Order: sequence, then C-alpha cells, then structure tokens
Amino acid sequence: MNSTAALRGVTVVLGDRAILRGFDLEIAPGVTVVRGPNGAGKSTLLRALAGLIPLSRGTRVVPERTLYLGERPGLLHGVSARDNLRFLASFRGVSPDAVGPALASWGLTARDADRPVETLSAGQRRRAALSRIDIERCDLVLLDEPFAEIDDAAATRLMQKIRVLAGERRAVVIATHGRPELDASANRVVHLS
Amino acid sequence: MTIARIWRIAAREALAERGHPDGFVAAITFVATLILVESLAVGPLAAGQPPVAAALFWIAMAFAAILATTRSFDRELEDDAIDAILALPGGRDALYGGKVVALTALLALVALVGGLLSGVLLSLAIALPGHLALVLVAGVLGLPPVIVLFVTLALRLRARGALVPILALPVLVPQLVAATNGTAAAIVGDATGALGWTGLLIAFALVYSVLGLTIVPTALE
Repeated sequence: MNSTAALRGVTVVLGDRAILRGFDLEIAPGVTVVRGPNGAGKSTLLRALAGLIPLSRGTRVVPERTLYLGERPGLLHGVSARDNLRFLASFRGVSPDAVGPALASWGLTARDADRPVETLSAGQRRRAALSRIDIERCDLVLLDEPFAEIDDAAATRLMQKIRVLAGERRAVVIATHGRPELDASANRVVHLS
Repeated sequence: MTIARIWRIAAREALAERGHPDGFVAAITFVATLILVESLAVGPLAAGQPPVAAALFWIAMAFAAILATTRSFDRELEDDAIDAILALPGGRDALYGGKVVALTALLALVALVGGLLSGVLLSLAIALPGHLALVLVAGVLGLPPVIVLFVTLALRLRARGALVPILALPVLVPQLVAATNGTAAAIVGDATGALGWTGLLIAFALVYSVLGLTIVPTALE
C-alpha cells in the first residue's frame, strides 16, 4: 500500500492504562474514519499520530506537513483569530495573506476575525480552526470530532473540503461519533473498542 | 530556523499579554504591594538599608516571575493552544526560548517599575546607577530560564500551581543571593562587587538557558 502515514506496533500508556496496545495502522491518501465508543482511544490515536503523546513502544511515520486539529480549537486567548492563524501559518512558511480569504470562506467576517478568540462563539472558534486546512495545506490532516459545535452550513463546507482533500490525494483521518455518511466515501473505517 | 520561530512565539506572547495583560498586572501589583508594605511596616530607615531593600526586591521579582509564567502557560492550556504549537514543525523546540524571551521582556518592565518605586518609597541613594542597571538586567535575565523550565516540566500536572514554587524557589536561591548582593553593592558604591555578582548572574542565566533548550523539547512529549 502507498501509505502517507503509519503507526507500527504502537503501544500508548496513559497513567496505568494501555490505551493502544501493539496497534498497527497504515494511512493511505483519502479518508480514514476512526470510530469507537467513548474512551476507546480515538483521540489518543490522533494525538499519537500528531506526536503529542509519547509512544511506549512502536514507531510513527508521518509527513512533515501534518495538521492536527484537536477536540478544542487550539487558538490562544487574548489574540485574534487572524493573528493566531498568521502565527501558525508562519511556522509552515505560508504567507499571512492566505489567512483573510480562508477565514472569510469559513464564514468569519473581517470584524470577527480581528476579535480576541475568546469573544467568539464556540462554533466560530471551531470554524477559525478549520480554516487552517485551507491555509496550511498539509499532506496529512488529523481531525478530532471536527463536526462538534459547528452549524449545518459549516458542516456541509467541511464535508466538501474533506472530499476535495481526498481528491488531491491527501490523507485525512477523522475521529468522530457522528456523520455515518462519511463511511461510504472513506477508504477505510477503523473501529476501536 | 529556530531563532525566527523563537521570536514568533515571543511576539505571539506579547500579543496575548497586550490583549489580556493579567500576567503583567498581577506581577506589578505583587511587586508594588510588597515594596509599599516594606516601606510602611519596616519603616523607611530599616527598609532603606541596601541589603534589606535589595533582598525584598528580588524576592518580589521571583514570585512575580512565577506568577507571570504560570499565567502564561495557563493561557496556553485554555482551548489547548499549546497543542497547536507542539504539533507544528519546530514548535516544540521554539516554545521554551520564545517563552523565556517574552517573559524576560515582561519582567524587565516589572523590574523597572519596581526599581523606581523602591527608589522613591525607600528613599534609596544609589551610588552607582549604571552598575545597578547592569545587575538588574542580569538578575532579570536569570529568572525566566529557571522558572519556564519548571513550569514546562510541571505543565500536565494538576498540582502545578503548588509544585512550581516548591521546585523553582530552592533552585533560585543562589541567583537571588547573587542578585541581592550585587544590587546592594551597586547601591553602596562597590563597583567590583556589583560587577562580580553580575558575572555570576549571567553565568546562571546561560547555564539554565542551555539546560532548558536541551531538555524541554523532550520533556514536552
């Protein structure tokens, strides 16, 4: 298989509990959906792929351009959405000019984009975070419950965006409880128990 | 390049502090209150003794630094902003340096205000103001590398608010002694003493900066 990313023989222990044990996953271009009940390790799997938690055993192979969008937006309070995204884009060598149009395409007005993020609604913060997909244009996109807190319009846009990314041969890994329609277009559905 | 990333994180920190200057305000309030209480409770004669004034000033600075650093990382943990940095290429390596640079700038402002307040409220007659400025700069440079290191190591612990002072303050004792002696020396006009203690403070700052830059990226996993 022509993999974009992989976890091989991975064990992740948090506290005294092994969340993943000897886990293997090859991620090909396209959509991979991760499903499972609460506490099954969906978020841990994505965090392991993002390099945010140490592996007790095994190896992780991910491209340099990997984008992780966690359960929370990951934007610094006290700073506007625009400045947050400009800062994050600068680490990828992306022009700050890309930020404004991306935020607008996710439905944030220029006025909202310049407000401190903590004054935005949860849905607006999530949409600002999702606009990183357009700004940073990564080869591997890790989305943890990306449909939480967003309205139908933003959810539709996200579904379209996921299809576009898959069409561009990028890999998208989505951990979610909902959106069963995702499974039909996914390369692979991983069930964690 | 890591230096550029460090500056980016420092600039982001400055933006956040400008938006919500709670770290700065808390640090200034703490330092000003301590100096005011010192001048009122101990009396201007005793409080104006160079070693007493210097010791209280640096104790206040140490606590103010812990306060501002803890607030800075609390802000990172709201909405998991720190995860966005750690998941970026080079983010883990730049985080420590960026925080140290930003907090050094913030503490420099706090030291300036605290120093002026001490001078006025305690009626300090400073024999060597240039040397005093050098000691203050070196002392301020030495605090964030240690405190950011311990805050980072305790980042994911629930009791970090209690743990950071317990871990950091004993390590800071030699620096606080050096800063106190250097400040007192500059106030009374002992140029050699002031410069000697300044050198020691710079050495502390360098050692802990190198230590932090080396171990924090690994510790953040």
